Amino acid sequence: MATAANDAIESKPATPERVPIGSPVYNRILEAYYDEAEILDELRYNEWIEWLAKDLRYTVPQRLTRLLADHDKSIDRSVMHYDENYGTMCARARRLRGNSAFAEDPPSRTRRLITNVRVQLTETEGEYRVLNYMLLTRSRFEQTRMHVLSGERRDRIRDLGGRFELVEREVIIDQSVLGMPNLAIFL
Amino acid sequence: MLTRTSETLSDGTRIVDLVRPETREVELRVLSDREIYDLEMERVFGKTWLFLGHSSEIPSPGDFVMRDMGNDSVIVARDRAGEIHVSLNVCPHRGMRVCLADQGNTQVHKCVYHGWAFKPNGDFIGSPVAEEKMHGELTPKSELGLRKARVHIYAGLIFATWNIEGPSFDEFLGEMKWYYDMIFQRTEGGWEVLGPPQRFIVDANWKAAGEQSAADGFHTLTLHRWLDEMFGNGGSELTSTMYGVEVGSDHGHALRCQSLSKKFARAKDFDSGTMSIEERWNILPAPGCTTDMLDQVRSKLTPEQMEQLMTNPPQVGGMFPNVLLACIYAPQPDGRILGSMALHTYIPRGPDKLEFVNWVFAEKGTSEEDKQTMLRNTIFMLGTSGLVEQDDSDTWPHMTASARGAQGRKMTMKYQAINQLPPPANWRGPAIAYDGFTKDDTQWNWWMYWRELMSEPA
Repeated sequence: MATAANDAIESKPATPERVPIGSPVYNRILEAYYDEAEILDELRYNEWIEWLAKDLRYTVPQRLTRLLADHDKSIDRSVMHYDENYGTMCARARRLRGNSAFAEDPPSRTRRLITNVRVQLTETEGEYRVLNYMLLTRSRFEQTRMHVLSGERRDRIRDLGGRFELVEREVIIDQSVLGMPNLAIFL
Repeated sequence: MLTRTSETLSDGTRIVDLVRPETREVELRVLSDREIYDLEMERVFGKTWLFLGHSSEIPSPGDFVMRDMGNDSVIVARDRAGEIHVSLNVCPHRGMRVCLADQGNTQVHKCVYHGWAFKPNGDFIGSPVAEEKMHGELTPKSELGLRKARVHIYAGLIFATWNIEGPSFDEFLGEMKWYYDMIFQRTEGGWEVLGPPQRFIVDANWKAAGEQSAADGFHTLTLHRWLDEMFGNGGSELTSTMYGVEVGSDHGHALRCQSLSKKFARAKDFDSGTMSIEERWNILPAPGCTTDMLDQVRSKLTPEQMEQLMTNPPQVGGMFPNVLLACIYAPQPDGRILGSMALHTYIPRGPDKLEFVNWVFAEKGTSEEDKQTMLRNTIFMLGTSGLVEQDDSDTWPHMTASARGAQGRKMTMKYQAINQLPPPANWRGPAIAYDGFTKDDTQWNWWMYWRELMSEPA
């Protein structure tokens, strides 16, 4: 009965060329990702905006509970949790830096744990596809129960020579009902 | 030891005393008590009409979505004839959940446990190995279907209730329907959902969100003051938008009708009596409509409703008990003003937990490009990551935590901002209309209806 799910897997394009783990390019990219996680965890929004490309597309689709036969429809890209561009991300960051963004004032304490990083070449010179797993923990106020969000980030980054910028990010989250009261944080 | 009767809680408190009309106060314990919550499931969520979704979510025969009425899961399904049914998602055999997916399409809802099967309308089809009669002969097959709720479709919106013999949906809306029609029934195509609703959990009692939806204007000035800080001109633009007319009913429904002439410079002469409907519509169509829709809207609404739409359109509010409605203006960088249209429900998940469900809509006749723009605007402002509502969802948990304190639960919520003005002059609409600056009256009506329902045995 798993035909639809199998078809979905088989219809993926042939594996693109991988950038080997441990190669110089891979290591530079991994550093950029560790730095991004630190920047967000430390609320350095101005620096985070610098890492975003002007032609950014940033989305967080919804996940639905569907039967196995419809598993390929479990990612829904209509009404998403985030559907952003560079301009809206700047506006969001500007609000967080202002005096009245109460959803994050006092701020949450977060850790973005980034693992399973796989880098692929793309058809565009200097642009890489970066697939990575994210485990985000979020603690607010005196709550002892952590809010946790896991997911896969499907990114595209551009090599600017001295640094990279984020061109595209789609976060495939694992919850159909989010366990936290908002996404006033960036994934 | 005291025992609970229909009018008192087990500690002897009379339910009517939780809401005190003489001082307009509500005891904070209503946001945390398990006993009150359990009573609400019977007396509120078991009695009123509840919003479950939109018919455009299940356009084809066999389509279904899984939704919630109070703390019960239900299947909302379309049958072969196109009719929509709502059935309790509990197998009459052993209580297993029959439907396990958020949405899908099937003509046979089959329980995975013992295989009992049901039609989209809830009727029992049969059980496996028919000749061995797993379902026996003691209960007739006609009584082995899923428990059916009473359904009403209003402008494509799906409502249902367990109160099979109770008031009709039109009685439930009452005079407020005149205003809701201006939002939901103003074009030929009506509203259309833009995708599955966003869903997330807030550690708060459902009433913290529910009572705010009965048109709390004041919180905007503080909790959402970033709107002025980011988009204002350093003044108090938000304060000026608090003028208008609030309408409410003794069923707890409420809408805030904001004055366009006070809200938008381009609409400053809309009240002058010198501008035609066309002139005004072309400058500023109703939120969520585009200028080309005027003829449709005119044919659907009365002249009085049209005039209302061009002076004080209803924009935010709710529907008792747990619906928030937003039909607001969304200014664009190019100077156009589109709309942002959303409905929320706050599903009770326990005394201190709610599920926030957020549907986003557009008028069916909207261009694909405008629909996408409206959708992105709405995601930006409302729901999960919405810059407005992320502050609300971080507030309600604190109120709920306060209500758990031994001393905190004895505090009260106060609704003492009372409108003292005469009814608005030349007001065209029915229901109770409160003129001038926002006040607490519509929220108070919400609590009074909650009190009325909670005092009546289920």
